[in-house]
Amino acid sequence: MTTSAPELPDFAPKLRLTQSHADVTSDVVATLQTPSRGYYMLLFGAVGMFLVGLITFLILVKDGLGHAGYNPPVMWSVYITTFVFWVGIGHAGTLISAILFLFRSPWRTAVYRATEAMTVFAVMTAGLFPIIHIGRQWIFYWLLPYPNARYLWPNFKSPLIWDVFAISTYLTVSTLFLIFGLIPDVAAVRDRVKGWRKFIYGQLSLGWQGTDTQWRHYSRAYLYMAALATPLVLSVHSVVSWDFASSIVPGWHGTIFAPYFVAGAIYSGIGMVLTLLIPLRKALRIEHMITDYHFDNLSKLTLLTGTILFYAYAMEYFVAWYSGNIFEQTTFFRRAFGPMWWAGWTMIICNAFVSQLLWFRKVRTNLTSLFVISIFINIGMWFERYVIIVSSLSNDYIPWAWDNMNPTWADWCILAGSFGWFGMYFLLFARTFPIVAIQEIKEMIPMPRRRAGGGHH
Amino acid sequence: MSDEGPTQTLDRRKFLTVLGVTGGGAVALSGCSTSRVEKLVPYLVQSEDQVPGVPTWYASTCTECAGGCGVHVKTREGRAIKLEGNPEHPVNRGKLCSRGQASLQGLYNPGRIKSPMLRSGDGFTAISWDDAIARLATEVTKAAGRVGVLSGAGPGTFSDLLADWTAAAGGTVVRWEPIGHEPIRAASRAVFGIDEVPAHNFADARYIVSFGADFLDGWLSPMEDQRGFAASHGFDGDSARFVAFAPRRDLTGLNADEWHAVAPGSEALVALAMANVIGGSGAAGGSLAAYTPEAVAAQAGIPAASIERVARAFAAAQPSLAVAGGAGNQTRGAIELATAVHILNSVAGNIGRTVLFGSGPATGDGYEGLARLMGAMDANQLGLLLVHDANPVYALPKSAGFVERLAKVPFKVCTSLYLDETAAACDLLLPNHHALERWDDARPRPGVVGLMQPVMEPVFDTRNTGDVLLQAARRAGGAFARFTSPDYETHLRDAWRARATGDADTYWIEALARGGVYGGGQQEATAAPAGAPAAAPQAPAAPAPARPSAGSQPVTAALPAFDGDGEFVLAPYPHPFLHDGRGANRPWLLENPDPVTKLTWHSWVELSTATAKRLDIRRGEIVRLISPHGELEAPAFPYPGLHDDVIAAPLGFGHTEFGQFAKDRGTNPLDLVGPPGNATFIPYVSTRVRLEKTGRYKELATTEGNPRQLGRGIAEAMPLDAARRGLTVRQAYIEAGHGKHEINTELEVEAIEGWRQETIEARKLGNYATEHPAWGMAIDLSRCTGCSACVTACYAENNIPTVGEDDVIRGREMTWIRIERYWEDPPPAAHGAPAAGGDAHAVEGVTHGHPEARFIPMLCQHCENAPCEPVCPVYAAYHTPDGLNGQVYNRCVGTRYCGNNCPYKVRYFNWYKYNERAWPEPLHLQLNPDVTVRGRGVMEKCTFCVQRIRGAQHQARLENRPLRDGEFTTACAQACPSDAIVFGDMRDPNSRVAQIRSNPRGYHVLEDTNVRPAITYLAKVLHPAEA
Repeated sequence: MTTSAPELPDFAPKLRLTQSHADVTSDVVATLQTPSRGYYMLLFGAVGMFLVGLITFLILVKDGLGHAGYNPPVMWSVYITTFVFWVGIGHAGTLISAILFLFRSPWRTAVYRATEAMTVFAVMTAGLFPIIHIGRQWIFYWLLPYPNARYLWPNFKSPLIWDVFAISTYLTVSTLFLIFGLIPDVAAVRDRVKGWRKFIYGQLSLGWQGTDTQWRHYSRAYLYMAALATPLVLSVHSVVSWDFASSIVPGWHGTIFAPYFVAGAIYSGIGMVLTLLIPLRKALRIEHMITDYHFDNLSKLTLLTGTILFYAYAMEYFVAWYSGNIFEQTTFFRRAFGPMWWAGWTMIICNAFVSQLLWFRKVRTNLTSLFVISIFINIGMWFERYVIIVSSLSNDYIPWAWDNMNPTWADWCILAGSFGWFGMYFLLFARTFPIVAIQEIKEMIPMPRRRAGGGHH
Repeated sequence: MSDEGPTQTLDRRKFLTVLGVTGGGAVALSGCSTSRVEKLVPYLVQSEDQVPGVPTWYASTCTECAGGCGVHVKTREGRAIKLEGNPEHPVNRGKLCSRGQASLQGLYNPGRIKSPMLRSGDGFTAISWDDAIARLATEVTKAAGRVGVLSGAGPGTFSDLLADWTAAAGGTVVRWEPIGHEPIRAASRAVFGIDEVPAHNFADARYIVSFGADFLDGWLSPMEDQRGFAASHGFDGDSARFVAFAPRRDLTGLNADEWHAVAPGSEALVALAMANVIGGSGAAGGSLAAYTPEAVAAQAGIPAASIERVARAFAAAQPSLAVAGGAGNQTRGAIELATAVHILNSVAGNIGRTVLFGSGPATGDGYEGLARLMGAMDANQLGLLLVHDANPVYALPKSAGFVERLAKVPFKVCTSLYLDETAAACDLLLPNHHALERWDDARPRPGVVGLMQPVMEPVFDTRNTGDVLLQAARRAGGAFARFTSPDYETHLRDAWRARATGDADTYWIEALARGGVYGGGQQEATAAPAGAPAAAPQAPAAPAPARPSAGSQPVTAALPAFDGDGEFVLAPYPHPFLHDGRGANRPWLLENPDPVTKLTWHSWVELSTATAKRLDIRRGEIVRLISPHGELEAPAFPYPGLHDDVIAAPLGFGHTEFGQFAKDRGTNPLDLVGPPGNATFIPYVSTRVRLEKTGRYKELATTEGNPRQLGRGIAEAMPLDAARRGLTVRQAYIEAGHGKHEINTELEVEAIEGWRQETIEARKLGNYATEHPAWGMAIDLSRCTGCSACVTACYAENNIPTVGEDDVIRGREMTWIRIERYWEDPPPAAHGAPAAGGDAHAVEGVTHGHPEARFIPMLCQHCENAPCEPVCPVYAAYHTPDGLNGQVYNRCVGTRYCGNNCPYKVRYFNWYKYNERAWPEPLHLQLNPDVTVRGRGVMEKCTFCVQRIRGAQHQARLENRPLRDGEFTTACAQACPSDAIVFGDMRDPNSRVAQIRSNPRGYHVLEDTNVRPAITYLAKVLHPAEA
């Protein structure tokens, strides 16, 4: 922000921003112009996938969850897997926008809007799954502590209730953070458009005029919001991990789970950021704003979290061996060599090994290889949750009850629907709001007239 | 409300109407006929024996097999909802097997014939009873002198009437049971001159040897035999040893302490060799000399030393018992086998002690009689055939040619309740009442007469065949004029009054209340019949006078012949639940897994694991079996309990009619079996088959996950010696020098104990402050045979839906109690001392080198520290003050976290609307009104029959007295024929359960998870081989 402006010249060359303030606004607002055919095709595909998921959901509501591949003792499977997957995705945004903001990492500037939007939509997607997966979807609200005639509270001992609070808090805060960050940019757009759109953006800009007072309040408030959001990055996925860790299921019951899940979440979130940004910058023609430099930094973060995961995987096996607990040992043995070995190795290879390629700068700066790696990360992280959930449940204490599950059409359709739902929102957002933070980019531009006009565009 | 089925939609208006009527203190008429009761009519004057909400019990007799068990029928608001054993009845003493309990699903079966029908073209048209009886009378008169009757009904007043009636029509009745034990009877005739199948006293036997007799799978008198076996083989200070010689290990074989896979048909040789060892070669008129253990060992494929060892132990135990004659090893040499075993029992001095003539089960005319009838049919000598309570078209091998002969009879009448294969081939269908709807009686064996009474209005427009006979007689006149009873009830009553001792009315009423008249149990009828060889208990080694009557032919036995030249001998065996196929229309029996293979809903063929490996056939691969008489395809099930040259397949599947559940389900191995020919019985095991692979697979509908315990101590066992010395499971493990998994470290114990004290303190607060009972259960694994009667009882009591084949494949069966069957390699501690000599099997293990089977009933353990409870976000899983692990279905939203967190995996989820599809009308009438029918999307589990607990508590409260131990019990414990399950209040130190829990054999499954289960298991006792 304004306070960090003096350091900027150091970074400016790397960011290669040579445009004027007006150019930045124009470039970004240009992304909001009449979309291309390709955009409509993508949007159409996303909505179509969402509808497939919606219809599947309605069938599940009508007939029961039996259509999905549940195979007791595997009573949670693809839906919870996908839930955790999306919650994890939702972590990169807040990490980048809040934590890196507090750490004054200016390279976040160009990417944080996109990742924040991704966060909100990922959490919105994740939030659907607890509802989809329960047996009687129409009374999901019984998990909320709402006032009722029977004086019934939810069970605060249950990790699922912690989950309800963690997810709803995170959704609220990350949504507010996104909206808050958008205010000056929406105002910038307001000033460039005409007609009914001007009216809509005008309403959304909450009367932003860009006065000094407004800026002062805004930057303070943004700092506080960032400080508020920061602990959530760590807490939400810790709580999600306790859905598993506080049970007694071998393979779930581990003290390592909270940090392990948080690292995994950030890892998967950045993976998704890469998957989204690499094509997006091309499509929106903002390559000059999101550069190799950004990807290099994102890759380093990926490498760090991927290595933490590597450690966590190794540690899980070590603890299983060291504990002498035959249930744990069997679970972990079967995770690697049981009927679901392919899923277990997919997870280990995609997450622990593939991320190690990022030690090489060439890999980090080659967008093609990064994109491929990001796809591996997405797949690997989905499988990580699948392995933890399904393979642990499929062989726990009583061997007689062991059984394997195979996902069915209902699982795949809901999974596809979730991508459709997420993609639909993301695409709509990208064409409706500035996907790159205008006002922060501008701060990066070396200014001949520093502080003149209060940074007004 | 009671008549509202779960499938009917109930709109608000209708709901209020019904509520208005029932709320006014009235219930629907006692009728349950789905077709006839259309209005709800309130009682103006309430019937005395109908109190809404209070069950009425009627005594009756089970007709599902020839055993003739006494039952108590629970009725609620005028419909039967459960069958339980009659505790007074000498045959079953309050217990009832799965088949008996599933009689209820016979009553409410959707496949029942709903009214009399007459053939028209390929189908049938419904006619009135008047027309039907008129037609019967006409046809019988027309065919006078050429009437044949085939009846499966056991002896009783009805059979007498049927015989008289048939005689009046100028014909004879052939009484035929498909699996009728004719070879045993023939052997009795040959050895002892008694035309009878003996009863067996398993309870007193100290050493039991079975040559294929499937007495735990539904042999002669299933409940009585199982009870006796549990009494002798279950550990109570000591335990009898049980050795099985048979090509296949059926449920009986799985309960054996030692099993020998003898070559098919060689059992007789082994029995004779044992008799030779015991009695010396001079026994049996010297004809045993050729049958030395060494001589038969090669033919039987087992070591001679084993035969000799078992024979000596058999002789030394007093008394012992040898049994033979299951249908599953009924070869052409079945009579020789039964003869050999009679001689063996005789030389061991068991006749009159454990083998009891004079109280054996009533048997029919056997296949001999049926063959005579078929001869008459073939020769066009019959003008009319009446088939009653039999399904020969299905139950006979196709090669016997019954269908072709049936077609030659001009007019066929069938009284079957169901449209089975035989009924479908007949011209006039006169559906009988179900046993629960009619007056009748049964004399299953001397000294026992069971009564049946209608416990409810008939479900359909059926009629008691007794009434039909009388009414037809009245209409036909002539020779029938002597049948004067106005109806069958009067006829039955008169027959009973004639037998009355003392006041006839009192006699009748008492008999009705007790469910019959019993001369006592089999133990009272132990006198050896005149002419039988005298028991020689003092000198078992001396040659007993096992005489084939003077000048008789010497005993001979040889390996029997088999048809065809295939590689394998086909051994069709009666399915423990479906029996000969008569149970195949009952979802309970189809879904309750076969206790041995744990397969449900479809047929299969078993081959030994070695054979499967050799031929590279995997589980579920569809194989084709080809015999000279036919072929079939079924999925393969490699089974470790099978002789390598044998392929076994269950009877009971492959119906072409018989209602929606049975029809087109699986294949019938009888299609491959050759004609009985001149045999007096059906030699089921008489065909060799070829096996072809098809390369196709079917996923087996099994409930088995991993059949190995992996050292987790789930179904524990200890050697007999350790049990005798009163060691605990842990001590026995330590003594054997292994089994560390059961032992926590000291620090762990300390931590667990500290925590335990804290919870006990915490429990003193709130709801838990005052004194409550603590419900608990004890299950004795040394008594449990794995018969699964408890499972059926649970289905019946708790409205558990059957989910069908597809969902069983996906592991979604809802068995609140399940029987897990683990294979266990015998632990070294259980081995006997090495036998002397150079025997190849120098160390004979508990199971002779074969895996040992361990059965363990697994149900909700009602943990004190239940992991399912804290994870439920909405408190649907909670703990009651009296120690139950409650589940509030209304509150459950279906997160299934409880199911994941349950270490015993005994929580079951309603994946679909099972409640709407498990009970097609009128099966829904069987539902227990005391138990909620669960909708989809909720979790359910064993409740320890909370409705029974509360019912008993309310009753005690009404009578202002404390609850007495044993006053009530759970459905599983009530049904258990082995008395392995005991339920009660653990806090009452005098209760049976509290006492059993302190047994040193007691242990908890997964104790180290510290969930504090309320179920204590008593370890199985392994009976090692003699030194």
